[in-house]
Amino acid sequence: MASQVLPLELIDRCIGSKIWVIMKNDREFSGTLLGFDDFVNMVLEDVTEYETTPQGKKTTKLNQTLLNGNNICMV
Amino acid sequence: SGSPTDFLKGVVGKRVVVRLTSGVDYRGVLSCLDGYMNIALEQTEEHVNGRVINRYGDAFIRGNNGVLIPSQPEP
Repeated sequence: MASQVLPLELIDRCIGSKIWVIMKNDREFSGTLLGFDDFVNMVLEDVTEYETTPQGKKTTKLNQTLLNGNNICMV
Repeated sequence: SGSPTDFLKGVVGKRVVVRLTSGVDYRGVLSCLDGYMNIALEQTEEHVNGRVINRYGDAFIRGNNGVLIPSQPEP
């Protein structure tokens, strides 16, 4: 029987790696995943924020950032 | 418990930026928050497009608004 990969397990494998988070509202973040919880709220480090509307506009946030899982679409 | 709750414990009392999904920023001292990511700020400034448009002594932000919380205010 093939073993399944659960979504939270997949995210867990990304801890310590740089990931790319796409939100529901055309905003994206890349950064190092420090951790997450059951609601998929995520703590990222060395975060770069990308807004789609102004075409490549960047906002860089250093240190740690908490992303509300409510609006996370894809990782 | 986990990384998001640890992050939140460490950020209480510090100056933070709370960014809503609408793109409006609220900068202030994080007074307290709860498990729903509802947030109470003190000495709050409301920023739209990089300009301060309002000041509040105390502000309450409901957690369902897709809140992003950088641990340090942007320059």
